[in-house]
Amino acid sequence: MNQPTQISNFTLSILVANRAGALSRITGLFSKRGFNIDTLSVGPMAEDPSLSRLIMTSSGDEVTKNQIIKQLAKLYDVVDVKLI
Amino acid sequence: MSSASDSSGVGAGGNASGSAGDTMILNGAAITIETLIAHGVTDVFGIPGGSVLNLYDELFSRTSQITHRITSHEQGAAHAADGYARATGKVGVAMATSGPGATNLVTGIATAYLDSSPVVFITGNVPTNLMGKDSFQEVDITGITMPITKHGFLVKDINALEETICEAFRIARSGRPGPVLIDIPKDVQIAETEFLGGHPLPDLPRRQPDQSELQAAAELINSSQQPFIYAGGGVVLSDSSDLLCQLAEKLDAPIGLSIMGLTAMSSTHPLYLGMTGMHGLPEATQLNAEADLIIGIGVRFSDRATGNINSYREKAKIIHIDIDDAEIDKNVQADVSLHGDIRDILPLLIELVEERDRRQWLDHATDIREAMRDSILAPSEAQASGLTPYTVINAVRQRTDDSTVIATDVGQHQMWVAQHYAFNQPRTFLTSGGLGAMGFGMGAAIGASIAKTQTRTVLFTGDGSFHMNLNELATAVRYQLPIVVVILNNGVLGMVRQWQTLFYQSRHSETTLDRSTDYVKLAEAFGARGFSVGDAHGLNEVLDQAFSSSEPVLIDCRIDPDSQVFPIIPPGGSFIDMIIA
Ligand SMILES: Cc1ncc(C[n+]2csc(CCOP(=O)(O)OP(=O)(O)O)c2C)c(N)n1
Ligand SMILES: [Mg+2]
Repeated sequence: MNQPTQISNFTLSILVANRAGALSRITGLFSKRGFNIDTLSVGPMAEDPSLSRLIMTSSGDEVTKNQIIKQLAKLYDVVDVKLI
Repeated sequence: MSSASDSSGVGAGGNASGSAGDTMILNGAAITIETLIAHGVTDVFGIPGGSVLNLYDELFSRTSQITHRITSHEQGAAHAADGYARATGKVGVAMATSGPGATNLVTGIATAYLDSSPVVFITGNVPTNLMGKDSFQEVDITGITMPITKHGFLVKDINALEETICEAFRIARSGRPGPVLIDIPKDVQIAETEFLGGHPLPDLPRRQPDQSELQAAAELINSSQQPFIYAGGGVVLSDSSDLLCQLAEKLDAPIGLSIMGLTAMSSTHPLYLGMTGMHGLPEATQLNAEADLIIGIGVRFSDRATGNINSYREKAKIIHIDIDDAEIDKNVQADVSLHGDIRDILPLLIELVEERDRRQWLDHATDIREAMRDSILAPSEAQASGLTPYTVINAVRQRTDDSTVIATDVGQHQMWVAQHYAFNQPRTFLTSGGLGAMGFGMGAAIGASIAKTQTRTVLFTGDGSFHMNLNELATAVRYQLPIVVVILNNGVLGMVRQWQTLFYQSRHSETTLDRSTDYVKLAEAFGARGFSVGDAHGLNEVLDQAFSSSEPVLIDCRIDPDSQVFPIIPPGGSFIDMIIA
C-alpha cells in the first residue's frame, strides 16, 4: 500500500516573481517542512526582469518530491514549478 | 503585483465614480481604510500605537462606515477577527502597531492559519528610512509570520498600496482560506497617491474537477460495501453542508466529522455519528476504522484524526476531496483524489453514485452506540455528587438556540463540548483545532458576538485557558456583549494532567493550579456579573439569570479535577487502543 520510499535526487526549475522576500519564502518553506535543498541558483529572467528563475536540486522519496512541488506551487510568489 | 502593472490592472475594471479625469488623491492611511470599506468591511479589531496613528486618524473620521473595537491585547483582536470570520464566512480584519503590537498578533495569526480562517492583518511599521536599523518598535513582522500566513506583504511603495490590499483580501478568501498580513510603514501611510476606488478583485479561478477522476471516485464508491464519510472544516468553509447531506443520504453512508468539521452536519441527522479521531465517539471512530472506503471531504487526515496512519488505512481505500492540492497525498496516500472546491465537486459526484440502502452497516453503529455510550457517560456521572461536564453542557444547551455561536478554549472542556454539545447549524462552533491555542475563546466569542450584531454567544473555557485571555472580559463589558462565559473549573490544567495520569504514571508535574482567583469578584471588577456554582440546582438557577441578561456573565462551575475525556486513543495509536474509561 505504501508508495515507493526510495530516495532520489531531482532538479526543479522554479519561476518566481521578483519580489522582496520571495527567496526567503521559498527557502523558509523547505526548512518549515523539513525538505532538503542540495543546491540552489537564482538569476533574473532575461526576457522578463519581473521574474527570476531558480534552479534547485533536492532529494527525497516520491511522496516528498510531490509535496515539494505542490507546496511550492501554492506560494503566491511562485509562478511555475517544473521538474527537469 | 509589481508596481509596473499597478494602475492598469485595477483601474481599468470599473471606477465607481465612472468618468476619467475626476481623480481622488488620498494618503496611504485613507486609501487603506477606504479600500477596507470598499470590501464591505464594517468591523475591525485592534489597538493603536505610534506606527498606526495615521490609520487610526482616518478611522476617526469614518466611524459611520467602519467600527473599530479596542481589545485589551492584540492577541484578543486577532482571535476576535478570526472568530468574526469563522462565524460569518466574511474576511475578518485586525490591526496592530509595529513591534510589540505586531508580535502580539502572532498566536492569533498562527491560529487562523492552521484552521484556514480568512483574516487580513494590518500592521504599521517604522518609516522605510528607519527599517533595518533596529529602530524603536521595529520588527520584521512579514519575516516572523512567513511560515504562518498564506502570504505577507511589506508595502514600501504608496503606488502599490491599494492593489496590495485588494490582493490581500483575494488571497485570504480564495481557494483554501487563510490569514494574510499587510505591513505598512508609517511614511507609506502618509504619502499620497491617486485612489482608484479599492474595488474587490474577482476570486482566483478554481480548478474544475476532472471527469475521469470523478468516474474513478464514483466507481470506488459504488463498489464499496461499507463506506464512511469523514468530513472536515472544508465543508464548513465552503458552505457545503447541504451537499454533504445529499451525498450521505444517497449513499446511506455514515458520517464522522473532524473537530473542524463539527457543525457541517446537524447532530440530529440519522447518518451523523459524531466526532471521529483521538477523542471521537466510539461509533464514529469504530466505523471509520472498519470501513472499506473512507471518503475524506475537506479534511487533512491530521494525526489527531487518524492516529497511526498505517493501521488507519489498512482496510480502507481512500478518496480525498480537497481544494488544496498539497493536502492530497500529504498525510495519507489517496487511491483517488479530487482536487477542487467541494461545492463544485459534490454535485457532480452525487450524480454519478448509485443510491443504496445500508441498513446493516448503519445498525452496526447503533449497536456500538448503545453498548458504549453508557460506559462512557456513567462513571463520571455517578462518581461526582456535584457538577459534571455533561450536566453543565446539557444545561447550557437547553437554553441556547441552534443558531447560538459556541466558542471554546483548549483542553478537556473543549473536547467535552466537541463530543457532547449538539451542534445543528454550520459555523456555530469556534475552536482552535489546528493550533490548539489556549486563550482563543474569549476573543473568538467577542468577534462572533459582534459579527452577529451583538447576539448571545457562549464561551466554554477552562480555568487554565481563561487566565490566558481573561483581560478581554473588559472588552465584552465595554461593548456590552451578551456573552455567557462558562468556566469548567477543575482547578487543574486538565488535559495535560489527564495525559500525565494515563501516560506518565500519574506524576502530576505542574498541572495543579492552586490559584485563589475569585471569579465572582473578578467578573465584578471588570464590570460583568459573576457566579460560582457547585451543584446542578445552583447551576440551573444561575443559567436562567445568565441567559436572561444582556450583559457579559461569568459562571464558575466547579467540577472534579479527576474527570477525564473518554474515549481517548493514545497518540500514535489506532482504534483498537481506544481507552473507554
Ligand atoms: C497557549 C497554550 N499553552 C499550553 C498549551 C498546552 N495545554 C493543552 S490543554 C492545557 C490545559 C488547559 O487547561 P484548562 O484551560 O483549565 O482546560 P481543562 O483541560 O482543565 O479543561 C494545556 C496547558 C496549549 N494548548 N496552549
Ligand atoms: Mg482546567
